[in-house]
Amino acid sequence: MTETLRTPGEEIARPVRPTEETARRTGRRPRFTDESGRQVGPWELVLRYLLLLAVLALTIGPFLWQLSTSLKGPTEDIYSSPPSFLPEHPTLHNYSRVADVIPVWNYALNSLKVAVASVVTNCVGSTLAGYALARLRYRGRGALTLVFVLALLVPAESIIIAQFTTMRSLNLNNTLIGVVLPGCVGAMNVLLMRNAFLNLPYEIEEAAFVDGANVWQRFLRIALPSVKGTLAVVAIFAFMGAWDDFLWPLIVLGDPDKFTLTVGLNYLHGTFANDQRLVAAGTIIAVAPLIALFACLQRYFFRGVGEGAVKG
Amino acid sequence: MRRQLPTSPWLFAAPGLLVTAAFVLYPFVSTVVNSFTDRRTLIPGHFVGLANYREMLHDDMFWIALRNSTLYIIGVVPALVLLPLLLALLVQKHIPGIAFFRSAFYTPVVASIVVVGLIWVWLLDERGLINSLLETLGASPVGFLSDQWLILLSAMAVTVWRGIGYYMIIYLAALANVPRELHEAAAVDGAGAVRRFLTVTVPALRSTMVLVAALSAVSAFKVFSEVYLIANPTGGPAGEDTTLVMLVQRTGTGLSGRVGYSSAISVVVFVITVVLMLLVMRADRKDEAQA
Amino acid sequence: MRISRRTFATAVVTAALLPLTACGSGNDSSSGDASGKIQGDITFQTWNLRANFKPYFESLIADFEHQYPGTHVKWVDQPAENYADKISAEAAGGTLPDVVNVSPDLAAPLAKAGLALNLDKDKAAAKYQGEYLPGAWSSTDIPGLPGTWAFPWYLNTGPLFYNKALFKKAGLNPDQPPKTYTELFKDGLQIAEKTDGKVATLSNVPAIEDFGRYGVQLMNKGGTGFAFNDAKGVELLTKYKELYDAKALDPQALTATPESAGQKFLTGAVAMNPGSALDLKNFKTQAPSLYKNIGITDQITNTGHVNMYVMGLLVNSQSKQKPAAVAFAHFVTDAKNQMSFAKKVAIFPSTAGSLDNPYFTKEDGTDETRVRVAAAKSLKTAVNYTPVLFSDQMKTALQQEVAKALQGKESPKQALDNAVKACDQLLKQG
Repeated sequence: MTETLRTPGEEIARPVRPTEETARRTGRRPRFTDESGRQVGPWELVLRYLLLLAVLALTIGPFLWQLSTSLKGPTEDIYSSPPSFLPEHPTLHNYSRVADVIPVWNYALNSLKVAVASVVTNCVGSTLAGYALARLRYRGRGALTLVFVLALLVPAESIIIAQFTTMRSLNLNNTLIGVVLPGCVGAMNVLLMRNAFLNLPYEIEEAAFVDGANVWQRFLRIALPSVKGTLAVVAIFAFMGAWDDFLWPLIVLGDPDKFTLTVGLNYLHGTFANDQRLVAAGTIIAVAPLIALFACLQRYFFRGVGEGAVKG
Repeated sequence: MRRQLPTSPWLFAAPGLLVTAAFVLYPFVSTVVNSFTDRRTLIPGHFVGLANYREMLHDDMFWIALRNSTLYIIGVVPALVLLPLLLALLVQKHIPGIAFFRSAFYTPVVASIVVVGLIWVWLLDERGLINSLLETLGASPVGFLSDQWLILLSAMAVTVWRGIGYYMIIYLAALANVPRELHEAAAVDGAGAVRRFLTVTVPALRSTMVLVAALSAVSAFKVFSEVYLIANPTGGPAGEDTTLVMLVQRTGTGLSGRVGYSSAISVVVFVITVVLMLLVMRADRKDEAQA
Repeated sequence: MRISRRTFATAVVTAALLPLTACGSGNDSSSGDASGKIQGDITFQTWNLRANFKPYFESLIADFEHQYPGTHVKWVDQPAENYADKISAEAAGGTLPDVVNVSPDLAAPLAKAGLALNLDKDKAAAKYQGEYLPGAWSSTDIPGLPGTWAFPWYLNTGPLFYNKALFKKAGLNPDQPPKTYTELFKDGLQIAEKTDGKVATLSNVPAIEDFGRYGVQLMNKGGTGFAFNDAKGVELLTKYKELYDAKALDPQALTATPESAGQKFLTGAVAMNPGSALDLKNFKTQAPSLYKNIGITDQITNTGHVNMYVMGLLVNSQSKQKPAAVAFAHFVTDAKNQMSFAKKVAIFPSTAGSLDNPYFTKEDGTDETRVRVAAAKSLKTAVNYTPVLFSDQMKTALQQEVAKALQGKESPKQALDNAVKACDQLLKQG
């Protein structure tokens, strides 16, 4: 079954014969043309932008509304009808109140440590495992692939206490390592990398093999540089997963000094449940770094997606 | 590859394998073992055979949860197969500013589900933005967060809202591989945009669509956070919006959690997802044979 | 990662061979009492108190460490949500702190698992019994497992707030709030009728403590089964159904949380809401117009006893520093420290005599004081109606059956029969 199971990476990294077509598509191509190279009419262009803006309102709108709520002062009616989209007296007061109650910066730093560690371990671990699954010939490869596929299907909510007792016997509860460890090599990421390697033309490595390169050399010098695109996808997935996780860090960490941001922001709930402005400020604090990070990396992310598809 | 050291493949796979074995497979095996006991959170259990599974058959809440998780697949999967594809077609073209739109459409995926839940609860509140817009238009407020079916629909909407960007990326990558000759040929034949979509794009993306269907179906079946946050922890009015994983969480956690019973439900969820995957893949293979 | 791969592998294998349960079972652990020397490091866990009371706890701990040289107290505070999950993980993993902030229903499963120190049986702890209100000391007494499993800490109760403007609008006398359930139901129906169902009077479905206040017997005499499906219970639920149909019980009550209910009162969509003196401050800052119209009345009860919530400090029976843990739990809950905590926030001490302090008996004309004095008076006879054995799963079962009855899917009698059956089943399995 593992041979036919497809994961996103396979599509992302599917090889395309390097034809003239591909070169034309990625290289200098006249703008405003459709997929068959025809000029796009002005009306179609207008229609496209209108559609894009409509979708934009749907995807970004909710975040902006939250931002607007968080900037409204205590005297402003946040329930008014018709709704007021712009705060009349914009204030950062809500943010400073959130920061008064919870040490936002410490928690953000902890989250950052966990997320960065998770990116590193996921990139290293899933590249290695993915390469083993895709490229190396040995007994038990099918079974090994199956292990990762099955891991993908286990409902996470049902194993959390067992994970904790394991962590406890490793004496890693209440440490940031304990937070990172269970997700440090995600099964999904391993399968993504496997598919990326699987789609590399075999001939190149074969040539290196003939030249006497050993397995590490082939891995480091030939295979790895060709899957950078998928690696960027894995990195972003790992960062998001670690930054966003709530229940596991809550369970494994005992000491509030070590809390991550999502856990720490939960203090808002019990303390300010009645003030929507503060809850909004808290959510913006949690989400803004991720959006900023993604905005910075999006070029690499999308290039990675496209690159993988073209270069294969 | 004869020169490679005999141990090296295992060395390569070791970190990933160890982590997966220790933190996913071993806990899951213990879940399977627990499902045959009457273990509670703080009280070690005894072997009870199939009693938990038998109890499930007579538990109304289990059937409600199974119904909701199944409805979730039906409600979410078609939208998540189709809408991201249309969106990918919309952002595929290199028109000015497209990079901005692409990343903006991906933003809901970047935000954590807890944040997304809070944002949507605030939007769908009886006095939230959507209802006050409706009121401005003269409509009466809608109980998105209080009606059994509207809760489920709202949760599905959030899942779709969040999933569109994610699956858009997968389609975008796949679209890059659709040979342009096909489009050109069809365009020369005078086929309109809709015809070309149906006769060129859809067949070329068939395997990607199957992949998206499989991935979204499995995650829809295991849905937890969206409903938990939109409904409330006890699953809406009279628990009518409980999903299977919510039931796992509710019965098994807390100091008096029935770990045994909750484990049995987990095992059932796991078996159903495996069967679901197998079915999708068989359908895929059959299609492929026909194509 | 700091650990080498081989160590890690060994550790994983070891972990896999360990038995699944790491927690102690039975009562074998209560040996060795707490009358030794007070020294060593202990951990103290509270439940969402850091955000507002950090300085109080820091100075409290400093005082204790000063009084008992050689002790060191580490304070950890947990967020409001998933507290039971957190404690479960700690208990299962053997990392339960030495002194833990619990409500009686959290103490019960820990006591059953042998993780709570029985204060009645411990020489060092039992001598403090006289310092506390008898009702508070026995609040963790478990049917079938008699004992005191936690030091009583703060008590909470509060009045019923109502919106005078909404009362007036419905043609009711704003200075005559309902005093009995009959009046409450009558007023509720009138408000709903006069406002075309726009204003509800109640925003929460009846929970176990409401049945208690209505005079329903919740458990049988031996505490071996539930009994709230008697005629009185059915009567209460039938009344609530009537209110729900007339929209006098908020249509969204079936999915309400305490926060959303408070929000509705704040925005004038609901006419009455239970609360505490703490809420008064909230009204003042967040809804000044409501604050001008706020009416305050006593909790409605048929039994003559209002409901109260009790918080306790459990001492971990596995603690390595039992003498220090007991001493610290007593220190936090002694009359002096509870009194100073009570002055910081609208809660009430559980120590004997504290409620006679002028702070709780003398009015000074402000609303805050009036609420405080009235609450302190009612606390002397208050009851914690929630049975200690009533677990989260049972709460959910009751809530869901009540919802079915309100929606008309089941008769009130049927619903309560089902709820009792489900709760009994859960009780037996516990």
